Amino acid sequence: MLNQIKQQIERMKTRSASYVDARWYPYEEANYLMMWNGNLKNTASSRESGLGVRVLYNGAWGFSASSDLSDLGALFDKAFDNARVAAERVTFPVRLAEKDAITARFESPCGLNPFEVPLVDKVAFLKEMDEKLNQPGVSQRISDLYFMRKQIIFVDSEGSEIEKLITEVFSSLRVSGLDSKGEMFERTYRPDRSGETRGWESINRSLFSENAARIVKEMNEVLVAEECPKEDRSVILLPGIMFLQTHETIGHALELDRILGYELAFAGGSFVTLDDFGKLQYGSPRLTARADATLPNSPGSFGYDDDGVPAQNNLLIDRGVLVGAITGRQMVEEANATAHRQIFNGSGGTNRATAFYRVPIERMTNINIDPGSDGSLEDIVASTEKGIILDGDRSWSIGSNREQFHFGTEIGWLVDQGKVTRVVKNSTYKGATVKFWNSLSAVGDASTWKVHFVDNCGKGQPNQIMQLGHGIPVCRFDNVRIGE
Amino acid sequence: MKARILQTLSDLRTYALQKGGEVTLYYHEEDSALMRFANSAISLNTNEHLIRLEITAYAGQKRASYELITDLSQLDEMKQGLDIAMEMVQHAQPLSYPPTIPVFAESFADESASDAALAALTNEEKLQYFNRAAAGLETDELKLSGIFSCGVNTVAQINTRSPHTQYFQTTDAQVTAVLAHSRLKWEVTAEQSAQKKSDLDPAVVWRELAFLVDCYQHNAPQQLALGNYDIVFGATAIAQMLSFMNWIGFSGGMMKRGFSFLKEDNLGQQVFSDQFNLCDDPTRIETFPFKRDFSGLRRAPFTLFAQGVFAQFTWSQDDADEFQTAPTGHSVAHKSLVLANGDQPAASLEELVALPRDRDILYIPFLHYMNIVNPSKAIITGSSRFGALLLKQDGSVVVPYNVRITQSLLDIFGAKLAWLSSSATVHNASSSYGARNPTALIVPAFMRVNNLEISHSNASY
Repeated sequence: MLNQIKQQIERMKTRSASYVDARWYPYEEANYLMMWNGNLKNTASSRESGLGVRVLYNGAWGFSASSDLSDLGALFDKAFDNARVAAERVTFPVRLAEKDAITARFESPCGLNPFEVPLVDKVAFLKEMDEKLNQPGVSQRISDLYFMRKQIIFVDSEGSEIEKLITEVFSSLRVSGLDSKGEMFERTYRPDRSGETRGWESINRSLFSENAARIVKEMNEVLVAEECPKEDRSVILLPGIMFLQTHETIGHALELDRILGYELAFAGGSFVTLDDFGKLQYGSPRLTARADATLPNSPGSFGYDDDGVPAQNNLLIDRGVLVGAITGRQMVEEANATAHRQIFNGSGGTNRATAFYRVPIERMTNINIDPGSDGSLEDIVASTEKGIILDGDRSWSIGSNREQFHFGTEIGWLVDQGKVTRVVKNSTYKGATVKFWNSLSAVGDASTWKVHFVDNCGKGQPNQIMQLGHGIPVCRFDNVRIGE
Repeated sequence: MKARILQTLSDLRTYALQKGGEVTLYYHEEDSALMRFANSAISLNTNEHLIRLEITAYAGQKRASYELITDLSQLDEMKQGLDIAMEMVQHAQPLSYPPTIPVFAESFADESASDAALAALTNEEKLQYFNRAAAGLETDELKLSGIFSCGVNTVAQINTRSPHTQYFQTTDAQVTAVLAHSRLKWEVTAEQSAQKKSDLDPAVVWRELAFLVDCYQHNAPQQLALGNYDIVFGATAIAQMLSFMNWIGFSGGMMKRGFSFLKEDNLGQQVFSDQFNLCDDPTRIETFPFKRDFSGLRRAPFTLFAQGVFAQFTWSQDDADEFQTAPTGHSVAHKSLVLANGDQPAASLEELVALPRDRDILYIPFLHYMNIVNPSKAIITGSSRFGALLLKQDGSVVVPYNVRITQSLLDIFGAKLAWLSSSATVHNASSSYGARNPTALIVPAFMRVNNLEISHSNASY
């Protein structure tokens, strides 16, 4: 099959295609199990294989994909024809940043292949967790496991040939209950990414058990808590919500295709302009953020992106100043040309597609915030006069240019005069992105830094779901509106 | 092709029976195309032809499923999938209730929402449509974005309880055209939904874009003061809010699990304004309807709210099994929601702007990134986008920077609802996450809601 694909790529070159690549998925398999109130509602597996072809012709892209590989010629011709028509409406002919031709292999670190673990063991795990969650006050309890494993073979017309074998394991626990007025509240646990591998071994039963008890306890505290006050306070974001703040107002805002207007039809743009790089005080000097696709244990690390560019660790925000973006080969060329200056030195290696039948676009890798020097969570609380600790993502809504946001959290703990006073329910906060990040007044040290996974980041049309991570510390922001 | 699909399903059924298995088979085929525009260029032009087969195996109260992307020539691969599902189910855990395996009493096929001309639409025709929709409106700073998404969607079913089959085929197109100012960052949009080729009319899209562009280019922008406003929502915003209500409102399963703002006590009670009449109406072909559900139940117009009174919950087969009630024909990939018109004459944005008004009115056509803040209280939040206007009492128009509302659907569709327009529009709500599922709602073109609070107001575009 590989030789046939290479022959088709050569044939496209003879038709004057300036670039061609193909991603062949010999297989991608998934396994999802979900237990809801003791019922194994989902025991689902899936398997798919196919080929996605990208052709660049006269400065325009064409893409075609199929699971039926019996007529490769037709599949490549379709991609070429799509490019040919797209070339009738070109404003900035696509150019690709330079890269080396690479022959390589990447395998995500995996101790125990989750697809070789017997189903009964997986069900037993869920049953054990379900029993632990089945406590007074809990009306709904959900435990789930989600496994992915895929082999991707990338070949392009520039001589690259890269094989990737990626395994991922995701899991979570969730409980909900009703307060005396019949209002529903929930609490969730998603494990941090500890260790160096991403296989079945990353499911730590004792950690899950501890956290099952914790989320039940905390949810019951919320059920009898007072309403969150509607006022301005410092917000202390734990990793369970800090990941989302980072994801929505740094990660998505700094995708270069968004900045250049390529997502305006749907997901939106970004308040960031090309003039802002090197100048914009995005946050306080305590803020250093990076796109790091080299963490071994995170789904935001993949070896090589779907342009065939090696994974990298790049600064996005350096001590508060915007310095970088989430970039692929196409967008950096257009950005530099549009800005009439060299903002980006080559692709940042972030172009990824969710499946063989989707086209690669700029996606977050691991969008991390460096640990700071403001101590532990206890230290940060002790130095807070009037604040609230927030955790858990209950709802999120962001402006179309990522310029403002409103987040609901699962739990809040009020802090007064350096001490935690009480739990509140319906804890929300909102803000304007740049003002908010510039109010960053404390960044926790390495003891507070966790790698939080995201298994459902959506972007693009046709829509694509992507997996990634966020390494984040506990952070405090001042003068934030809460309770709306 | 239809005969080949149904024969393949029949062969797989025979194989499962020979193996002693109890299975349901769900076949999904999409021939999808999406032309995407950005910065006045075609940024992406894609085709995907995908066949998915979902096999659900049963053993007593145990259930397990296996899905594969395949093609019709791969019968052996599909049989392997059956083997895997039938093996998996042996190791599953019994449900606390017996899951129903439907018995199709007769074979059923519905291709009434399929249009050969739309299925055969060419790349050139799509490009021509967009060229006409944006003719003369683009400038060096005003760039065209959007999508032309179209496809043919086929669903077929069989199971081991009966040799009968169900077969559904639809064609659909979803058009979104956006004109965005590259420097000022404002953007306006117009949309169109098509079930057949003759539904496509770029002139309608052009008129709406041209009107909004004129408003945005010739009227001063302004940051709105926080406070309460009378708001007219456009069709997209109305449809977005109804889609959330579909999720956290009248679904019986969600209600039983505590995720709904409606309770059983609400049945027969006044929940919304007496102007609010909501129905799931599978006779409306514009919604790409399912006239039978996946359990084989006939679907007919199903009243959800009549004059604001809550009529009934919807029950999928699985929820009905779990909570020991009767299914209502709602084991479907999407409903066909229709919100009845009111009596306010206003068919187009031009007509809305021309209406005499007793006070300032904020027009919000679209709510960006809406989410649920509190499902029990039906509180949602979202930001305006794509062409909001402040229609001043004196007849002038101001372009507002985007604002956020955080409100309860109980208020929006309840006592604060002032009027619904007398003309309807089809809003295409299809999502391209996962398998193609063409979905549309029919809603009034406009809805006025009085005295809603703006909780955030941008200081610029």
